[in-house]
Amino acid sequence: MLQRFLDPSVLAGISGLDLVAKTVVDGFISGLHRSPDFGFSQEFAEYRAYNPGDDLRHVDWNVFARSEKMFLKRYRGETNCQVSVLLDASRSMKYGSRGMEKMEYAKFLAASICYLAHLQRDAAGLIVFDSEVRQFVPPSTRQGQIMRLLHGIDQAQTGAETVLEKPFAHLVDYLRRRGVVVAISDFWENPETVLKTVGPLRSRGNELILFHVLDPQEIQPKLRGPVLLEDLESGAKMEVSPDYVTHEYKGKMSAHLEDMKSRAAGANIDYFLVDTSRPLDEALRQYLAIRAGRL
Amino acid sequence: MGFLNPWFLGGLIAVGLPVWLHLLKRHKTDPQPFPSLMFFEHREQSSVQHRRLDYILLFLLRTLMLVLLALLFASPYIRRLTPKGRGDKLVVVAVDRSFSMRTKEGTSSRLDLAKNEALNVLSKLGPGQKGQVVALADTLQAMTQQTADPGELRGAVSAIKESDARASFGELSRYLRTLSESTKTPLDVHLISDLQKSGMPPGFTDVRLDQDTDITFHEIGKPQPNWAVETVIAPQHIYDPKRARISATVTGFSAPAATRTVTLLMNGKTIQSKSVMVPENGRASAEFAGLDQASYGFNRCEIRIDSADGLAADDRYAFSVERTDPKKVLFVDDGQHPKAQEYFRAALNATPDSAFQLEPLRPDVAANSELSKYAVVVLNDLGSMPSGLEQALQKYVTAGGSLFEAIGPASAVAFPRAPVLDEAIDGTSYASREGERFFSVSDVDTGHDVMKSVERFDGVKIYLAVNVGTKNSRVLARLSNGKPLVLERKVGEGKVLAFTSDFSAANNDMPQHYAWVPFVQRSVAYLGGSGSGEQPTNLSVGEYVELRTGNEKGAQAEVQDPDGQRVLSLQDAAQARNFELTREGFYEVRTAGGKRSLIAAHANRKESDLAIIPQETLDLWKATGSSGPVNASGQGTGGEGNTMPWSLSPFILLLLLGVALAESVVADRYLRPQAQPQETKAA
Repeated sequence: MLQRFLDPSVLAGISGLDLVAKTVVDGFISGLHRSPDFGFSQEFAEYRAYNPGDDLRHVDWNVFARSEKMFLKRYRGETNCQVSVLLDASRSMKYGSRGMEKMEYAKFLAASICYLAHLQRDAAGLIVFDSEVRQFVPPSTRQGQIMRLLHGIDQAQTGAETVLEKPFAHLVDYLRRRGVVVAISDFWENPETVLKTVGPLRSRGNELILFHVLDPQEIQPKLRGPVLLEDLESGAKMEVSPDYVTHEYKGKMSAHLEDMKSRAAGANIDYFLVDTSRPLDEALRQYLAIRAGRL
Repeated sequence: MGFLNPWFLGGLIAVGLPVWLHLLKRHKTDPQPFPSLMFFEHREQSSVQHRRLDYILLFLLRTLMLVLLALLFASPYIRRLTPKGRGDKLVVVAVDRSFSMRTKEGTSSRLDLAKNEALNVLSKLGPGQKGQVVALADTLQAMTQQTADPGELRGAVSAIKESDARASFGELSRYLRTLSESTKTPLDVHLISDLQKSGMPPGFTDVRLDQDTDITFHEIGKPQPNWAVETVIAPQHIYDPKRARISATVTGFSAPAATRTVTLLMNGKTIQSKSVMVPENGRASAEFAGLDQASYGFNRCEIRIDSADGLAADDRYAFSVERTDPKKVLFVDDGQHPKAQEYFRAALNATPDSAFQLEPLRPDVAANSELSKYAVVVLNDLGSMPSGLEQALQKYVTAGGSLFEAIGPASAVAFPRAPVLDEAIDGTSYASREGERFFSVSDVDTGHDVMKSVERFDGVKIYLAVNVGTKNSRVLARLSNGKPLVLERKVGEGKVLAFTSDFSAANNDMPQHYAWVPFVQRSVAYLGGSGSGEQPTNLSVGEYVELRTGNEKGAQAEVQDPDGQRVLSLQDAAQARNFELTREGFYEVRTAGGKRSLIAAHANRKESDLAIIPQETLDLWKATGSSGPVNASGQGTGGEGNTMPWSLSPFILLLLLGVALAESVVADRYLRPQAQPQETKAA
């Protein structure tokens, strides 16, 4: 039953990104039966002697009443990292052959990750980009952060073509703490260029996760006859025969995906190919598997 | 170029379909968006363009096919010059060869003069100009086809022979109309004739000519007085030569009063001569009584006059007379009704020269007689039938004999079924004194020969009638109670006529009524073969002699012309139903039924009237064919009339078939390469 709700086309019918994220994540967590390896509640960690300048809101006044000494209460959650979601809003993300655009799927995925981070008290941030950084929500754990993130994701509009260099350079400026960077894009770029751009983030100790969102028609197009195709980003047009698509394109696409995968693995970057026809929780499961293993 | 059905050109709208399919649809195809063309190459475009070329060829062929189809339905034509437009003319020389053309003009006949005139007309034909020679009588005989050979035309004129038929200008006009319509060529007609007034049809419209028919009249001969034997009234059969009478009418056409000697000849011998005074433009009759010299069989007779005019052929009138004994009628009477025989004989001998002779016999004697020698056997209400008589009668009728039986009260008691007629007898109908008192005749088949002169039996009273069945018989007269009075049935080759009362006046008043004589005479004549259905033997040239009635399958007929030559081919002798008399004289005829006769044919006496057609009538006749002048360029006053539509449909149809074939080939070639690579690669 839940699986039905996680179907992308069903999710697309739900209005409100927050509701979608809740549906995906809550349902998904329910399906995990609260695994003991995964704890995200406010778990007590230790007491620390008060030092001048510490925030008085964290003083344990019960201990002070008994011992007249001021101790600060520390929780495990406060030791978490930042989660930065990079959402590609280039024009190529507007493509969708099954009634659902890649951009929409990517939004659901980004919202779900942000919501999941919010539940874990991770400081989640958002960068929406195409050739420029269109939107930026700095990572934070403050109250209302989740709504800011969801609003930012909701407001994201497909714009120009994809240029990875600028947003990633921008991200480098803001990521002062080590954290997790989740990049959601169709990566219509040379794999070498992609890895070259995102590679510096990994070298700073960040966990880097690439969600490669592609429509099934992109992976294996099916044409009935010769058609005129128009590049969504450049506007270039080209007549294409079914013969070519069936054989040569398929080979080139497979090589491209394999190249992406191998290069990401080589750079110690997690890479996931996300087919928009597949349920959303598959991508989340992969994401959480990484988080559980490494954080 | 024009179109017979221009509204079909609306079908050209259908051309929009391939235009849309091949051109507009392709151009309007929106490019399909795709995220990136990173992995596509431009070399694919060439193959698509190649297919486009195929498409364009296919498009052109399909468009052409639709255009041709629309044109085909619209029936395009071009106008071509008609023979009239080209200034061509067909010269028709019509030479009258009717009976009146035998008239002498000096030393030559009118026909000779006409033929000379025809040759004169033909000599004026231009080189290469087509002509045709026709001979005119009651029918038109084309002596040549349309030809430009002067020798053939002159030969045809020389071959025209005199005829005994009458002239029919109506027939000539009908032929000219047909010729004009079929050839679409203006006709230049030269009618060479004595232009007899009697040759004109009753209605002037029958001689109207088509437009572009120009007729020129060449009158041959001059009006002259003529005397002719117009009619002869003679009996076809004579039974008593002394009582035979012959009447001849002599007529003077445009002739002064004159005395003419009328001579009766029989088998070449002069029998009698008489002088009659023929008034100016009037008639006179000559009566000849007694033909004692007539021999048994057919006699060739002729009435002649001494006119000494130009047309000697109509001074004699041939007719035939057959001398024969009266036919025997056997009256079988058992003596119970003595008055019946008296009444029957009186009715049969009511005419001076009766064709029948009554011979009464008692039934037992009749049973042993040879019935085949009697033309008719009459049974007078027999109360008993001797052994063998009924079988003899049955055999006699089946072989072609005729039986006339009165089925009265005696027969009703004696026989359960009417003899030979073989219809059930179911008692009698008796008009009682208290009831109807008498029956009248209410329903008469007046179309039957027997019933033609009986005046519907008006006033006849029937007191008692026998109820005879009508299962296989035709009822000729019915009583007021619906029962039959007179019945007829064909038995084998013969006929049976039945009267359901008696001839003795005991049970009806028929014998005392005026309908009795014609009833008996016509009944016996009908049964004995001397009725109105008998072939007349004195006919005019152009009339037909009946050779068979349709029942004599396979039997041969035979006709010998006045020269004694057989005129029927073997096929005609076996199949021809009739034969046309084409010349004067005596024809010996044997019909398919075996009946022999001598037919006398004489020319139609309308030909004896040599009065010519008034000039006003000729002018009117000529005017019906005028159509205005033709100018030097060959274009007449009406441009439409000089051209005729020439259909282009056959050529368009051929072209359409070719285009359809090409379209099939191109379409097949286009479809084939698309399927093959897929199969190859899939394999």
